[in-house]
This record gives sequence, structure tokens and C-alpha cells, in this order.
Amino acid sequence: MLDIKNLHVAVDGKEILKGLNLRVEAGQVHAIMGPNGSGKSTLSYVLAGRAGYDITEGSISYNGEDLGALPPEERAAKGVFLAMQYPVEIPGVTTMMFLKSALNAQRRSRGEAEMDAIGVLKTVRKKAAALNVSEEMLKRALNVGFSGGEKKRLEILQMALFEPKLAILDETDSGLDIDALRLVAEGVNSLRSPDRAMLVITHYQRLLDYIVPDRIHVLAKGRIVAEGGKELALELEAKGYEQIVKDAA
Amino acid sequence: MTAALALPTRRVEEWKYSDLARALGDAGFGDASARVSAGKVPAGVDVFDLDEPNRPDWVKAHYGKLGGNSVSAVSLAKARGGIALRIPKGKIIEDVLSLNFSGEGHVRALLVLEEGAALTLSEEFGAGEARNAGLEIVLAPNARLDHVRVSPISDAVQVEEISLTLARDAVYRAHFANFGAKLSRTELAIALNGEGAEAHLSGVSVLSDRHADVTTQVSHAVGRTQSTQLFKKVVSGKAQAVYQGKVVVAHGANGSDSRQTAKALLLDGRAEADLKPELEIFADDVKCAHGAAVGDLDADSLFYLRARGIPEKEARHLLIHAFLEDALTDIANADLRESVRGAVSDALNRVSA
Amino acid sequence: MSSAALETKETVAGLGEKYKYGFVTDIEMERAPKGLSEDTVRYISAKKSEPDWMLEWRLGAFRRWLSMKEPTWARVHYPAIDYQDSYYYAAPKNTPKKQSLDEVDPKLLETYKKLGIPLHEQMALAGVAVDAVFDSVSVATTFKEKLNEAGVIFCPISEAIRDYPDLVKKYLGTVVPVTDNFFATLNSAVFSDGTFVYVPKGVRCPMELSTYFRINASETGQFERTLIVADEGAYVSYLEGCTAPKRDENQLHAAVVELVALDNAEIKYSTVQNWYPGDENGLGGIYNFVTKRGDCRGARSKISWTQVETGSAITWKYPSCILRGDESVGEFYSIAIANNYQQADTGTKMIHLGKNTRSRIISKGISAGKAQNTYRGLVSVYGKAENARNFTQCDSLLIGGACGAHTVPYIESRNPSARIEHEATTSKIAEDQLFYCLQRGIGQEEAVALIVNGFCKEVLQQLPMEFAVEAQKLVGISLEGSVG
Repeated sequence: MLDIKNLHVAVDGKEILKGLNLRVEAGQVHAIMGPNGSGKSTLSYVLAGRAGYDITEGSISYNGEDLGALPPEERAAKGVFLAMQYPVEIPGVTTMMFLKSALNAQRRSRGEAEMDAIGVLKTVRKKAAALNVSEEMLKRALNVGFSGGEKKRLEILQMALFEPKLAILDETDSGLDIDALRLVAEGVNSLRSPDRAMLVITHYQRLLDYIVPDRIHVLAKGRIVAEGGKELALELEAKGYEQIVKDAA
Repeated sequence: MTAALALPTRRVEEWKYSDLARALGDAGFGDASARVSAGKVPAGVDVFDLDEPNRPDWVKAHYGKLGGNSVSAVSLAKARGGIALRIPKGKIIEDVLSLNFSGEGHVRALLVLEEGAALTLSEEFGAGEARNAGLEIVLAPNARLDHVRVSPISDAVQVEEISLTLARDAVYRAHFANFGAKLSRTELAIALNGEGAEAHLSGVSVLSDRHADVTTQVSHAVGRTQSTQLFKKVVSGKAQAVYQGKVVVAHGANGSDSRQTAKALLLDGRAEADLKPELEIFADDVKCAHGAAVGDLDADSLFYLRARGIPEKEARHLLIHAFLEDALTDIANADLRESVRGAVSDALNRVSA
Repeated sequence: MSSAALETKETVAGLGEKYKYGFVTDIEMERAPKGLSEDTVRYISAKKSEPDWMLEWRLGAFRRWLSMKEPTWARVHYPAIDYQDSYYYAAPKNTPKKQSLDEVDPKLLETYKKLGIPLHEQMALAGVAVDAVFDSVSVATTFKEKLNEAGVIFCPISEAIRDYPDLVKKYLGTVVPVTDNFFATLNSAVFSDGTFVYVPKGVRCPMELSTYFRINASETGQFERTLIVADEGAYVSYLEGCTAPKRDENQLHAAVVELVALDNAEIKYSTVQNWYPGDENGLGGIYNFVTKRGDCRGARSKISWTQVETGSAITWKYPSCILRGDESVGEFYSIAIANNYQQADTGTKMIHLGKNTRSRIISKGISAGKAQNTYRGLVSVYGKAENARNFTQCDSLLIGGACGAHTVPYIESRNPSARIEHEATTSKIAEDQLFYCLQRGIGQEEAVALIVNGFCKEVLQQLPMEFAVEAQKLVGISLEGSVG
């Protein structure tokens, strides 16, 4: 589904990713682990198409298509979803209104019929309950005044709502206490499916206790330096990044 | 007096709350010159008496170069004498340098800080005489100036104008304490001309009567410049406190950051506060905000203190001090801060709280 | 969440043309000779079959105007206006006031239909009565009978001068004096039509009232005059809409609106101003110099202004409240959008004279393109205004680095028991907000409309439901092409 080859990405002229290779098949969950400053967030932004993240070399193929050539909203309509580490606040725009706008924009882009307000409301309500997202939250302005946990739950709710093919979760565990983490992880696990790939980006191993990946990649200094099964996470936890990066060199 | 040098009336927008022509009456400022002298001048500081012939190049390069308003044009035209000071490159002066203004009439001063120089300047004004003082300050890259000016209570007209230009990474930190005059105008025109330049202005006006007007204009001419302003006014008796602050962010000056706060406590039915915090923004990537408020002491706070056994008069004084406190803590030099605090306390004792 | 809000963004994307009211109606017109003189004033007065006192009032204003100077203090720049190079009266031919809509020229009915203002009552929006002003005259007023039953007078001001002279004499010019300012004085001399509303004691007006102003003729200024009086305990909600054809020339619109609220009365006045703004190079567009003022004359009266200003090349407008009555309330909610080369200088004055008076100002300014947008406001508390309260929030949003956003508030207090609070911020549409929307599949223009509508929400909520939809669409349309 996702095939990244020799990817070089520069931000403000400074190279952050330096020849990254990664292949993720449908149905799989891959974890990207790495120390601070290794390029994890850059990878998530370049996949989603944020301006200012320039591909200087290499390619990103998504279902055979050159992802780098598409504007962010088309990527979204084609099933690329990025759950952000810091979800953005938009004052005055209610969460519910935002969800409907996004859902229908994606449907329009795919040539599907739009859903009316009542249809959206019903769909959202059904999925919101499982994630403990209250009706009251949906009426508030998007992410404004939400706690860290509320923001992350809303990201996962959007993932459930938009049913992406490739979901990228950027540091979804940051800022969550253990109960919130479990709730979010359950939400993510319920969305695992044979035709959906997931890329879980995290600094810590603890998220992977809840979302067990098929494969783990260690990102350091802009490259994948180690790969392995889920046991790699435990090794990382025991040895620390520095040792693993050194071992790999 | 020629038309070009005519004194502004309140029909001139910038003088709307301060009718200078009326306060001075038919006599105007007259042609006299006031005096200014420096206190103990530390070694290495160049001093030049503007009355002397053969001005050195550094004086020629800067004197009268920073445009001001019509009133500074008057002092430039009429002042005889005055003082020019230069802190040479890299010179960091620990002691406070003081300038003392006295006598009636027009007077000028020029202060140049060369690259990397640092100085704390304290200004004192003799009370009782009508004065029109113009000060030009030039801050070269990385220069730092801490400036404290105390304008005493006076029954004459006091006009003080400061024009200031800041080069890259220069920092200006200033505090203005005013206690009222027949007409008191402190006017600042600050140009942040180099990236990284910062101006931090604070001030208190404590008026038991009379008038005090602080008018500022801060121009963010280039990006990555910063300005903060915090002005507090306590207005009682038949006093009028004025704050007019204009922040201009030029086209392309992205990354400019400006915050402006003006608050007045009105303590008497005859008192008046006029606030005009103004923004003029020509760049989009900026952080600019201002806030202004006028009111009496907070009734809830007053009640809380009284409920804890503090008598009303004392409670009011406590709250007024608290109101002024954040503007006073901005004074970096401890001695000057305490001296301003002392002047504020004296003034507050006159206030009919 | 309103369904209107949702509908907005969907419509925004679908609208191809940026200014969809730019068409011209081809209809035979009757005009006063070009230029301005006492004869012009007499011509207009005669056309209206006015009583002598009205003509004298106008002539007095005209003579005064000759001695006045155009104000220059606002942040708007435009070439000198040649007041002799314009028509001051233009009306569709053969339009003596019609008793029935069936008699109105079908071309006019068609025009208003195209503008989205159906004049046939059976087709009209439920509960909205409309006075349609076409260039210099009112061409139709709907629901008059129904309103009459409630005792509400809703008619063109030219009719009111003839039919209700005592009411007009009693209130006209008492809020905005003839000598108030250059443009108001000009209006007093040459106003040709406008709307008069009188809501009697204790009556709650049974429907929304609305005037729809249309400038159609070229080289013609529009000078309308609106007077709304809410007698003791009365309530009325009134909305005006404005459009004009696309033309290369600049046309002058100088209106005066006076509101009077007596004891316990409330007037809610909303404007959706969408005069032609000029093209993307700044050619053409309406010069909008308007004086609007409300007098809370009675105790516990309330006047609330809501404006959505998206049109005009130049906007010069400060809807104000004189809070004379004790415990009276003034409100000003404003959205001003300036794109391309538009210049807006708008705001309000809240004059607190009475005890326990309260005012609230919420201003949202949006600048894009090469536009300049200024908020200018005065809050003044007089010595006798015990316990007066004001809150002002003034936010500016910049889209792109070539525009300007300016805030000029004046705060004057002479009463220690009064409390005034003012906050202002300036920001831009954050890149991360846009990216978040894009990542969730929302396109650029729609994302801008969404974020800006969110920014304006507090003001949009103040509009009557029937007009909120149109206003939200306008916000999106006005900013099309501003990001990208």
C-alpha cells in the first residue's frame, strides 16, 4: 500500500530525512520509533503533505500513485489520515460542523453523495459513544479548551469516522494518562482491518503494549537504522536508543 | 512665531486631550533656553556642550536628525546649549548616569550608545518652570539602555519629547513616572530599525490633580522586533490622565511582537481618563494585542480585605499599590526602582482615595 | 450548530461568480438634471410633492452644506469627488406609488427576484416585510396591511412626510442634526427616499422589517433616509440589504439612519452591506459614506446594531448609540471584510449619558489582498453616567502580507463608578489551522471560509436567522482567491 524509497526531505533547506525506506502492506500495523529529533514528525507531515516539507529526492508511492504530487486534501480523500500530535484549535467552528464539513468534502471528492446533517449526526453519535466523546464536546469549538485526552480521543473519532486506508498516528500517546491511553488504544485496535494499514509513530514503548505492531522500525538521524518484530520495542526499552543506534552503525 | 512653529490646539488629533496652545496662553513658550547638566560622568564617556562651536562628527551625525512633532521642531529651532553624550563601543557603564534639567524654556540633549555599549540613565526635572525638552537617543547594534525619568509635580507646562532609534539587537527599557503638571506631555517616538531590537516601556501616573499625558509611537520598521508597553494611571481630584499609544508594524515586518496595556483607576467624580491604544498593522505574520481598562477599585477585592479586618482606607491604598506594582517592577535598577516607589508613595498620600 | 452554517460552506464552493449582483436592469429612467444646486433640491422636493416645511428644511441643509468641508480624518483615500458630476435623482419612469404589486413594472419585480428578494407576498420569506428602494424611489412595500392591523407604520419616507407629517416633524433630524457632518448634511438636502417605521406603544412588531436598497442607474448617487421610532415598550427588528451593478465608475451612497427608542423600547437594526466593491484592480465600486445613529431616549431602552460589511470600494460608517435613558443598552456587532483594494473605516460610538447604561462592542475585521481595514470607535462616559459599563472586543484577521488592519479606539471616562474594558488582537489565519482542515479533506477556499466564519461567529449569531445564511455565504465569497 505504502512504499517509500530513498526519501530525502528538507525543512527550511535543512535535510531532516536522509534516505528513508519503508514498505507497509494493507492489514499491517507498523511502528516507527526513534529518539527526539530523529525525523518522526517530519515523516508524518510529509506523508500528509504539509507545506514546507520538501521532498528533495526519492519517492512515496501510495497504492501505486505518487503521493508527493497530491495536495493534502486529495490525500485525505484518498484515505490518508494523520492523527496529529498537537491537534489544532479553530475558534468559533463547532466540532460537529467541522466533522460534517470534512466528511462531506471527502465524499464529494470521491464522487459520493453528501450526507445530510441528521445522517452525519447519527453516524458521529454512534462512534463517539465508544470513545467517550460527549455530545457536549461535539458542540464546543474544535479542540478549543479540550484537555490533552479529549483532543486525542477526537482525533481517533475522526479516524473512525473517515475510515482511512492509511492511518498515521503521530505520538498519539503523548500527554495521556494510563486510562486515556487504554481508551485510545482500544479505539485504534477496533479499527484494525485487512484493508487498512497503520503507521504508529511513538517515542515510548508503552503505547505498543496496547497497540501491538506487526513490525517495528527505528528511525535515527533521518534513516531507518533497525527493524524487527514487536520484541524490538522491549530491547529498545532495555538498552535505550543510543545503544541500538550505535549497534546499528 | 511662524506658522510652521505654531503650537497645537486640541483640534490637532494628536493633541486632542492636551490643549498646549491654551495651556501656554498668548505668551507661548517664549524664547528662553532651559539648562541641562550631567551628574558624575564616568571615564570614557564623551560629553559635548551643544553651545560650543566645532561640533564633533558624532554630534553632527545625529543631532536633530530624528524627526519629531511640531513641538520638538520648536525646541530644535530655539534651544541654545544643551548636552550631547556618547558611550563608546563596547563600554558597559555600571553606575547610573544622571541628567538634570532646570530653568525655563527650550532645551535639547543627545545620547549616543555605540555598538555593544550599555548604560543606565536617570533623568530629573526641576519643577515649576515651563519647559520644552527634546531628547534624541541613538542605539547602535547590541546597545542597551535602561532609562528612568521622573517628572515631578508642577504648575507649569512640561513638554518632554524623546526620539529614539534602535539598530539590530539593541534593547531599550524605560520607565516614566509622572505626577502631573498644568499640562504634562511625555511623548516618545521609537523606531525599531534593526532585527532583534526591543523596546519595553512602562510608566505610572499618580495624579491628585493636574494633567499628565503619555503619548507613544512605536514603529516596527523591520521584522523580529518586539515592544511591550504597560502604563498605569491613578487619577483623583480634578485630574486628567491621558495615554495615547500607537504601534505601527510596517509592511514585511514579519515576526513583530507587540503588547500594549493601559489601565486607569478613576477615584474622583471630577477626574478624567482618556486612553487611545492604537494599532496600525501592515504585515500579517505578527502578534499584536492591546488592552485598556478604566474603572474604580474592584469592589470584591476591597470587600475581601475588609472582611479580613483591614480598614477601608488602608485596604484602598493596598489595592492602589497593587494596581501600580507590575509597572514598577519593570524598573531594572534596584536603587532607581526604590526611588520611584518613594515618589509614588508620596504622591499616593496626596491622593484622595 | 445551525443548518445555515453548514449550508454556507457548501454554497461557497459552488458559487462561480464573485459578485453575483453586478447586473444592470434596463429600464426607462427619469432623472434630475446633472449636478447639485438649489434647483436640484427643489426638483427632488417637487417630485415628492412635499410640503413647504420639508423643502425649507432641505434648502437650509443645502446652504449649510455649501459652507462645509469634506472630512479627511478617516483612513480612506480616494480622488476628489466632483459633486456636480452626478445625478441626484433617478427613478424608473411611470412609477407613481402603486397600490398593488400587480401594477409594479414586471422588470423591477424580476430585478428583485434575481437579487433574491421576492416582492410577491405569497412568495416572500415568512414573516419579512420588504420596502424596495430602486435608485431614488421606493418601488414596492409589502405586508403593509398586515402591519397596519398591528398599528405599525412601515412605508417609504416620502409617503410618511405626506401622510404622517407630525411624526416626521417630531423626530426627523433629532438624532442626526441637519448640521451633523458633511455627508449627513448633503443627505438632508437631497435625500429622495428611504424607509419610515413607527411602532406604537407596547407593540411588538409582528414580523421582521426590511429595506432592500438597489443602485441601478449609472452616474447616480443614492441618498436614502431612514427613520425608525419605537414608542414606549415597542420592539422592532429591521434589516437592510444593499447591492449595485458592476461599473467602472465610482458611485456615491450617502445615507442617514436615525433610530429613536423611547422608554423600554428595543430596536434591532441589522445590515448586510454588499454594494459593488470594485474589481480586483480597484476599479469602480461604491463610495459608502453613511451616518447611522440611535438615540436610547427612554429609560431601559435598547438599540442593537449588527453589520456585515463586505461591499463598497470605500466604507465610512460608524453606527452609534447615545445612551441617554437610564439603564439603556447599546450594542454594536460588526464584521467588516475588505479584499482587493477596498478600504473600510468603520466602528461605533457609545455615548454614556444616563445612569447604569451598558454598551457592548464586538468588532471583527478581516483584511485580504491590498485592502485597508480600520476599526475606529469611541466609548465616552459622561460625569452623570453612574455605574456605566462597556466591554469592547476588537479582533483583526489578516490574510496575506499586503493588506493592513488598524485599530483606533478612544476611551474617555469621567465617572469613577464606570467600568470600561477594551481588548484588541491582531492575527492571521494560522498555517496549522489551514493544514489541519486540508488534512481532513477540506479544500483551501472552503477552509478559509470555515475559519473566517468561526472568527466572526459571535457577530453572525446576532443576525436574524433569515439573513444569517446570506451573510455567511458572503463572508466566504468576499474572500475567494485571497489565499493561494
